[in-house]
Amino acid sequence: MNPALAHQQRALLDALLQARPPGPDAPWQGRGLGAYRANAHAHAERALFDAYPVVAALVGGEAFEALARALWHHQPPERGDLAEWGATLPSFIEAQADLASLPYLPDTAQLEWALHQASRAGDAPSDAASFALLETEAPERLRLRLAPGTVVVRSPWPVLSVLDAHLHGEPDFATVARRLRDGVAENVRVWRQGAAVRLTPIDDALARFEAALLGGHTLGQALNDTPIDPVAWLGEAVRSGLCVGVAPAPDGIDTEGEPPCPPTL
Amino acid sequence: MPAPPTHDADAPEVGIGWRAPHQRALLDQRPALDFIEVHAENFFAPNAATRAPLLKARESYDLSLHGVGLSLGSAEGIDPWHLDRLATLVAETAPRFISEHASFARGAWQGHTVHAADLLPLPFTHEALDVLCANVQRVQERLRRPIAVENLSAYLSWPEADFDEAGFLTELSRRSGCHLLVDVNNLVVNALNDQRAGRIDAPLPAVRRWLDAVPPDCVSELHLAGHHDRGDLVIDDHGSRVPLDVWRAYRHAIARFGAVPTLIEWDTDIPALDVLLEEAATARDLATDARNARAAETLA
Repeated sequence: MNPALAHQQRALLDALLQARPPGPDAPWQGRGLGAYRANAHAHAERALFDAYPVVAALVGGEAFEALARALWHHQPPERGDLAEWGATLPSFIEAQADLASLPYLPDTAQLEWALHQASRAGDAPSDAASFALLETEAPERLRLRLAPGTVVVRSPWPVLSVLDAHLHGEPDFATVARRLRDGVAENVRVWRQGAAVRLTPIDDALARFEAALLGGHTLGQALNDTPIDPVAWLGEAVRSGLCVGVAPAPDGIDTEGEPPCPPTL
Repeated sequence: MPAPPTHDADAPEVGIGWRAPHQRALLDQRPALDFIEVHAENFFAPNAATRAPLLKARESYDLSLHGVGLSLGSAEGIDPWHLDRLATLVAETAPRFISEHASFARGAWQGHTVHAADLLPLPFTHEALDVLCANVQRVQERLRRPIAVENLSAYLSWPEADFDEAGFLTELSRRSGCHLLVDVNNLVVNALNDQRAGRIDAPLPAVRRWLDAVPPDCVSELHLAGHHDRGDLVIDDHGSRVPLDVWRAYRHAIARFGAVPTLIEWDTDIPALDVLLEEAATARDLATDARNARAAETLA
């Protein structure tokens, strides 16, 4: 790294990324800097709207743009592809006191981000030969590979109904309002079936089971924690393309331990 | 897919930026164009569904992958994640042209490496040139081919300078082996803003001096676009037809550099495809005139 240039670049980045424009005594200020700051705000609003159209509809255009600008200054992008920016919006929403009147908003944002990410996930053809391991190895020694981009969202709110009402017009908003009032919980599996992104409602047991698999548990561990009918589930998962392969778990793994990463959003 | 209708095979090469509103129209109409340009990052998602339209268009057109996020001038270096995605896209789409900007966006801020998602200007210093050359070479080694690097429209300038912009970019090309992509509109925008700031008297002579300072053998491509005059500042918004001053500067550029491949860019308030094709036809006419004039000079 060139220290002199790094110092210069940090100074300009600071003038752009700090929430308030620099004052008149700062090395960078004026209409040129204003043009870059305005451009950044436009990028932030557009990028976040692309990933979160339902959150935008729920909070309204101006409030959403303000949210996008605030997130930009709080947690700016790390990558040079703006479609990768915005993962932290759900937790950022939770910290906004003025959005507390929409308690289902963070989970709705989680679901939208999962949908956005699934559409951008890589392709993974089914490894049909690997399924033979199911015949020869104990479930405790096997991990299932689910389609790239698969996420389980578990929510105490009817988040799938909220999303579907906005994106597809079904159910109607009166039904969604009733489910919100009644506190209907919904679990959703977001996954890719070929090129199509699917949002599949699943019950609590299946949500726990699939979350355990996504969290790195072996098949045996996941079944032990949440007994389901493995034959029926596997048959459907392989047929539909949800499960794309089986891999042996590394030797010496502590199958009683915690999963290596959080199993759900 | 049949090839697009062809024009005079010897005519100068002209392309257009292919953006989402024209995704269907281009594939349906397949107008006579020499190449299409896309922003590389829009096709970074590593799945077939994202890339299918690009590969479909690739059957009929040469492709220019134009990056906007590689941050070639960053003192923090190139983001390996970004270069991996670009290299994969290049391998899958075999573009004829690959280009990026002489800019930075990536750097340290509050203990993190961030990306400001813009084309921020570099100081024209020896230090910045060293960094830019090293980063360009890293990209070229990974892609195993030279890239073209574009001059910016810049709304800020650094007080420190060891070169003027043309000298800085020429040195970049000489040292790294990269080509230069000369954005004629950016030159006009910068000159108009320099005029408003009292730094120069007239924009077009300044643009011509810039063009005359760059060796023709460094230049592989030209960009043309419209800009927006908001009064206090001229903004390079790519949102209108190519203005007369940019066409005048373009004539000077092709008289000097030859009829190098030329792109019409239009990124905001995108009009019907036919409007872009009209602009492309104008560029082709001017470039043809320039080529004929050079041929006549040679004969004389």
